[in-house]
Amino acid sequence: MGLPAVPMATKSFADLAKSNASKRGMPHIRACFTPHPVWGKTAEQLMAYVEGNDPVSGKPLMKEIIDGLTVPLTAEDTKTGIMDVSVGPPIYGPDTLDNLQKHFLNNGMTDFLPVIIPTQEKVDAMLKGTSHHPDEVVGKMAAGAFAAWTYTVKQVAVNAVMAGCEPEYFPVVLAVASSGMAALGSSTTSFAYSMVINGPIRDKLNMNYTIGAMGPFAQPNATIGRAWTLIGKNLGNGGIPGDTYMGSQGNNTNYNNIVIAENEKDSPWTPFHVQKGFKPEENVVSLFAGEDIRQGHGARRAGVLENPMFDDQISDIFRTLTSQFDALVVCDPLTVKRLVEQGYDTKEKLMDWLWKNTKRTAKEYRDSAFVYTFHYPRALRGEEPYATWYKCPEDTLVPWWPKLDNIVLVVAGGQTNPFFQVGNLTYRVSVSIDKWM
Amino acid sequence: MKVNRRKLLSLLGMSPVLLAGSQAEAQHVKNAKTAKASPAGDAQFEALNPKGSPPPVRLIPMAPRLDTIHGKTIYLVDTGFMSGGVFLQQMQIWFNKNMPDVTVVFRKKAGPYMEDDPALWKEIKEKGNAAIMAIGH
Repeated sequence: MGLPAVPMATKSFADLAKSNASKRGMPHIRACFTPHPVWGKTAEQLMAYVEGNDPVSGKPLMKEIIDGLTVPLTAEDTKTGIMDVSVGPPIYGPDTLDNLQKHFLNNGMTDFLPVIIPTQEKVDAMLKGTSHHPDEVVGKMAAGAFAAWTYTVKQVAVNAVMAGCEPEYFPVVLAVASSGMAALGSSTTSFAYSMVINGPIRDKLNMNYTIGAMGPFAQPNATIGRAWTLIGKNLGNGGIPGDTYMGSQGNNTNYNNIVIAENEKDSPWTPFHVQKGFKPEENVVSLFAGEDIRQGHGARRAGVLENPMFDDQISDIFRTLTSQFDALVVCDPLTVKRLVEQGYDTKEKLMDWLWKNTKRTAKEYRDSAFVYTFHYPRALRGEEPYATWYKCPEDTLVPWWPKLDNIVLVVAGGQTNPFFQVGNLTYRVSVSIDKWM
Repeated sequence: MKVNRRKLLSLLGMSPVLLAGSQAEAQHVKNAKTAKASPAGDAQFEALNPKGSPPPVRLIPMAPRLDTIHGKTIYLVDTGFMSGGVFLQQMQIWFNKNMPDVTVVFRKKAGPYMEDDPALWKEIKEKGNAAIMAIGH
């Protein structure tokens, strides 16, 4: 703007505010802070914040703000130029494997589980998994509001080795990396991430999509997901608590994310990648972000001994989700068989029923914190359907999500029981794996 | 006096890996090749740095400050987090009470917090003298 400004945050974000400002070129920004939190405080309590001290500087808050706008700038405040950022030497060692392991662990390069040390030999072997040149730039990735980092095929290979991937998995890892989507968010919300893999590569890599499909029972499922987290940390500069990661409680799924190879063989429904316009023989990875995944069989009416209605059960679980994120329903093939018997012979028919039959009152909708933060500002500028959902009477029933395709259905499982799981996860992007072979 | 940095670090209980760097690299490669016959556990290896490439930081000079805020127009910008508007409204009350010659304009930034609002920045530049932007959580 070219005008003096003072940004404000609560005390809990002081380090983040300073770090982010520095990385964006304003290391001496005059930020001011209040006690934490602001959310939920009364007007009287917030007036006490205004009249009190900045808890970081210990000085009266309003004096700090006015000084921030009026105290003349120093030479440092007006400095221009370019500063290079170092990420360390290209090679560590020589040293023992134990010492290298400790070095990687102690310097925030791992998920705090042992990694495969990325020697030149192992990285060279990984690079044989793709036809792409080691120096080709794959993409860029940012940890939230921080500046994006770039990375090459070789840099992705280093992280794939660390995660325990085999070279034949590498095109999948490259496809994920090329999306630029990090699997570690910077928000105070402890996000979860998921990938759905479709196409013949699932069998070529021996991915597990039957019994225990989402559990720790197959190397490609485990290590491809883990590589995504390491990529977010090392190539995107994410996952530094208090700096580029602020998730208040963390998310256990971040260790290797929710990797789903769709069980196309046992599903009568259209595979997810074909729904997105790819051919059945194409290999595709689709990425999702959100909050979590939960078991569905404990829902209302699960105890019905005859003719259990899975559509009702799924809808019940939907009512436990935040509508800030969408729904990713993972059905066991046995569940799908029952759903087909109920008349849902396509995914679209079930999506349609679920969308029309999962509702809440406009009052319940408007009371949601996520809705206030993310939908209300869009309602204010007239964006539909949020504007209507904010104007309608409180007892009006509104759908959980704006559109039918906010609901995604995929199939995975080994048919030992007709179960399903529901992720509060939003589809983001589908990427061709074949392009990275 | 010539200092053996590797030995010194070992005495301090620190990994010699800390010595890694461009100057020492050539010698280390030689050592790595010769160490392959070492007993298991003592064998020497080199590891590639797993980090990506950060962009350089372009320093941005801060805008000139005001000589005073008396008689000036200050925008209070709510980024849209819960209770942020209530907080800034208390600040507006404070200004009205303690610095009544300051004109205070309250605005809620358009769109969710992560979206830009160029129309508001234009308005502040045209009609205001300074801005205070707040606040998360």
